[in-house]
Amino acid sequence: MSKRTVTLLLVLYLITIWGAVIFRIDYFPLTWVPMYSVYEPRETISVKVWDKDQYRKGLKVTHRDGSTGYVSSKDLNVPKPNFRRLYYSRIFGTAPPKHKQGNIELGTLNQWVRGLEEDEPRFEVDWEWRMFWTLNKTLRLEPGDPKFITRIESSHQKQVYKKADLLKGDTHKVKIQTNTVVIEWHDEWLPRWEHGIL
Amino acid sequence: MAFCNLISRGWNQFFFTGFSGESLGLLRMYIGCGLLFFHTYQFATVLTLNPIGTRNYFLDPIWYFHLLGIQYHIPALSFIVYALLMSATVWMIMGKWTRASILVIILCIFYLKGVRDSFSGDVHHRYIIPMQMLFLFLLSRCGEVHSRDSRHGAYPPLQEWEASWPIKMMQLYVALFYFWSVIAKVRISGWEWFSGEGRIQEVLIKRSVRWGMTSEGELVKNSLSFELAQRPDLIQIFSHLVLAFELGFPLILFIQSVKLRAFFLSGVIIFHISSFVLMDVNFLLIPFVYLIFFDLVPIHQWLRIHAWRFFKRPRSMAR
Repeated sequence: MSKRTVTLLLVLYLITIWGAVIFRIDYFPLTWVPMYSVYEPRETISVKVWDKDQYRKGLKVTHRDGSTGYVSSKDLNVPKPNFRRLYYSRIFGTAPPKHKQGNIELGTLNQWVRGLEEDEPRFEVDWEWRMFWTLNKTLRLEPGDPKFITRIESSHQKQVYKKADLLKGDTHKVKIQTNTVVIEWHDEWLPRWEHGIL
Repeated sequence: MAFCNLISRGWNQFFFTGFSGESLGLLRMYIGCGLLFFHTYQFATVLTLNPIGTRNYFLDPIWYFHLLGIQYHIPALSFIVYALLMSATVWMIMGKWTRASILVIILCIFYLKGVRDSFSGDVHHRYIIPMQMLFLFLLSRCGEVHSRDSRHGAYPPLQEWEASWPIKMMQLYVALFYFWSVIAKVRISGWEWFSGEGRIQEVLIKRSVRWGMTSEGELVKNSLSFELAQRPDLIQIFSHLVLAFELGFPLILFIQSVKLRAFFLSGVIIFHISSFVLMDVNFLLIPFVYLIFFDLVPIHQWLRIHAWRFFKRPRSMAR
C-alpha cells in the first residue's frame, strides 16, 4: 500500500469509529459505550439470594399435557452464567444492560436517524415469547407435542436494603422479598413459531 | 494553505514515524502470546459445555448471527473453532501464513463471541480493543519481520512509515476507548456518575452485600468494598482520578519519556486490578494491550540476554 492509500484508509477508519460514537452504534466490533455508564440514583439496594438447590433444579415448567418438571442449564447445554441471566432476569422481562444503555437519553439526532418517536425505545424485545422459543426449540418440542412447554416459572428471594442504612454500616435492617414470575404460552404466537426469532 | 500544511505535517509526524519493522514484528509476537491467555479466559464458559450435548436455540442472537441466520449453537463446533483459534494464534506468533492466520483469528473470535453472547443476550465488550488491533495487524506488513514467512520469501525491508501507522493507530484507538467512556457516562448519567455518592459507591455496596451475611451480620466477602463505600469523600477522590485518567488518556500519545508512560500505564493497571477486586469489573487481562505503547526492540533484547538464561541448563549440570 502506498502512503496515500494508507492515509485514506486511516481517515475512513477514524470516520467509522467516531461515527459509531456520534450515532450511538453499539454493534461489535464498534462501540460508543465502552464501560459501565448507567447510573440511576436509588434509595434501596437489592441483591439476589442464591438458592443453589433451587437454581440447580432450574426453571419450573408445565407441559401441554399438564405434567410438570424442571429445565436446568445442563438440559439447555448453556454456560452457567448465561443460564443465571435467563433464570433471574430475562424471564422477569429484564433486558441486558446494553439495551438499557441503548435506550437512555438517545437524543434528538439519534431518534431522528432511527425514525423513533420521543418515548419510543430503541431496543424492545418480547422476552416472554423468546423464553418459550429457546426452551421448547432446544428440547425439540413443537407446539403440537404433548410435552410442549406452556408455562415457565421462576422464583427467588431478594434482600432489600436501604442505601442510607448500609452507608451507616448497618447490615441488619434488611427486608426479604420474594420475586416470582409465571409466564404462559399464548396460541396467538403460533405464526411467530414458524418464523422463529430471526 | 498554511493550516493544511500544518495538519499534513502533524498527521505524517504522528502516524508515520516512531517505529521500525522489527518493532512491528515483535509486537505481533507479544500480542499474540497475550491473546493465547485472553482467548482461553474469555471463552472458558463455552468450553464447559457438553460437546455432544443438545443444540441450544439462542435467546437473542448477536447482530451478525441475526444477519447470517444462525439461530442455534452446535456445541462440538465451538470446540473445533476454539482449537482453530488457538492454532491460528500460534501461527500468528510464529509469523507463518501471518495474514491468513489473523483472518482466521478474527473469524473465530466473531463466532465464539457470538455464541457466548447470544445465549442470553448480554453483549460483552472485552474483545473490542483486541479486535481493532487484529484488524490493523491484518492490514499491515507485520508478518514480514520476525516471522517464518520472511525466512522463505525475500520481502523488501519495511520502512519507518509502514511499521509506524498500524501501531500509532492502535495507540490512538486505545486512548480513544478510555476517552469515549467519559463521553458515554456523561451522555447517559451526567456528571453525577462521578460524585462520591454516585455509581462507584453503588457498585461497591452491591458487590459487597451480594454474597450475603454470616449469622453475626458480617459480610461473607468483599468487606473492603463495603468499608470503602462508607467513605464518599474517598470515593470522590477516586472518581476524580478515574475521570482525570480517562479524559487524559490521549495525552499518552504525546509523552516521549518511556518511564513516564510506564508510570501512567501502571496507574491504569492498578485501576483495572482494583476495580476487579473491589467491584468485580472484569477488564483484568486487558492491560496486555498496553504493549503497543512501547518499542519492544530493547525489551526483547533485554529478555534475550537476561531472561532466556533462566531456561538454559547450566553446562556443568548438563554434563
